[in-house]
Amino acid sequence: MRPLATGTTKGCLAVGLCLLLQGCPTPYEWRHQDQWDARDQIWLSEESQVKLRAAQSRVFDTTDRLRTLEAVVATMQDLGFMVEVLDEALGIVSGKKFESLERSRFGNDPYYHLYNDKSLLIFTKTYRSWGPFWHRSDLVRFTVTVRKRNESQLVVRASAQFYLRPIEDPVPYQQFFRTLGQALFLQDRLVQ
Amino acid sequence: MPTCLLLCGPLAGCVTHTEPSELFQLTAESQQHRAMQTRLFETRDDVELLSASAAVLQDLGFQVEESVREVGFLRATKERSAREYGQDIGRFFVFLLSLGKLYMPVDLHQKIETSLIARPINPEATRHEVRIVFYRVIWKGDGQADRQYIPPGQQKMEMLRDPGLYQQFFAKLSKAVFLEAFTL
Amino acid sequence: MNPRAGWVMSLIAGTLLAQGCAAPAPRQDLLMPTEAQMKLRSFQTRTFDVKNRQLAMRAVITALQDLGFIIERANEPLGLVTAARFAEPNYYDVLGVTVTVRPEGEGRMMIRANAIYNNKPIEDPKPYQNFFATLERSLFITKE
Repeated sequence: MRPLATGTTKGCLAVGLCLLLQGCPTPYEWRHQDQWDARDQIWLSEESQVKLRAAQSRVFDTTDRLRTLEAVVATMQDLGFMVEVLDEALGIVSGKKFESLERSRFGNDPYYHLYNDKSLLIFTKTYRSWGPFWHRSDLVRFTVTVRKRNESQLVVRASAQFYLRPIEDPVPYQQFFRTLGQALFLQDRLVQ
Repeated sequence: MPTCLLLCGPLAGCVTHTEPSELFQLTAESQQHRAMQTRLFETRDDVELLSASAAVLQDLGFQVEESVREVGFLRATKERSAREYGQDIGRFFVFLLSLGKLYMPVDLHQKIETSLIARPINPEATRHEVRIVFYRVIWKGDGQADRQYIPPGQQKMEMLRDPGLYQQFFAKLSKAVFLEAFTL
Repeated sequence: MNPRAGWVMSLIAGTLLAQGCAAPAPRQDLLMPTEAQMKLRSFQTRTFDVKNRQLAMRAVITALQDLGFIIERANEPLGLVTAARFAEPNYYDVLGVTVTVRPEGEGRMMIRANAIYNNKPIEDPKPYQNFFATLERSLFITKE
């Protein structure tokens, strides 16, 4: 029994020390990544850029950009994204969807729906609530670009953001590209 | 003292008002900012320039939010956590020193955004200019001052004016379009 | 309850309701622009000799960028540009501006700017004059 008790005490101490260093954040705050300088988020290190690029990009043996874009839009719709930006000449598709992660937990806040993520203009400076925060936390953004790689190939790059973080795990992208490949009847290939 | 600082925070906006009329005037810095945010490219292909810009922004973790090719406009954003250890620790000590009366709100969310315009600068459209601007908006969480609850969502905005940021963006863009980027 | 008393009471309640809760009737001139509004419109509007809308819109965007505004939205078919900037040096106030470009006869474009400071319209002519001065410069450069 003794060693266990010491273990628990040690655990308590560790938790207490963490709390002290963190300044007692609430559970909601705790779900956000902590860092020394928030401005570091503006840039990505060259190393992580290279790693992400490999996970997020695939080459397809086709030059039909329009058909590829159609397949991207269809796949995104299947996944429940609202497509908001679509430019066939530039090869950009972008959309968003909401995962009710925070909303369901805290009940309904009218300000959840009033948050305008497209503008700087503030609705009100006097009435403030958690609504816009939950809205941002629940928001999943997804952007796909389709660009010519050479005379016979296109390169498709998909990137997603979830709970104020970029998705860096390669598995979700693998799944997306597999579905996209099926829609195009083409095999997706890693960029060498 | 901390209470005073905290109360001054939201009021600061009312103290240093800039007259709206001044904000429609070109200043000495306008030219400087323009030079930092702008590069010229010897190309006819504005579509490639925009498409490559979107790809570079995606490479940097931005999500495209709007694209209007007709006027060469792109807007991209990324939402990230704005929490900082320094603020958390600061809040903890203020909490201790104020004997538990003051719980300062800390930065919680930030939106890093960029707006880009590509446009031809001669009538033959053989030369294009790309101008980009980065900025961020930060929101604080909630807090408590004595018995007064401080609601979350205090907003702060900041233009990003680090020349290195712009240099790096244009270096990547120039690599993506296989063209040299000229400064003004 | 006595049916008559009930009737009287509902009559009183009805009168009270009609007096206290009726929506105010709209003024006859609600939708007629006031003199001040007409004056404001003349400050906000200028006509320029520009060939097409796209050229005018690009000049508007350039002028706004030069003034340090962030372009937020643009709609080419509607000739609409929305931009904003922070009221530097303080970072709590926002100045927003909406510019519309409309063709007005052969080779002429009517450009109208509406500026908002923290959700309150700017009614002072000075900012609009400054804006059009910058726009004129940018149009001149674009035309060259």
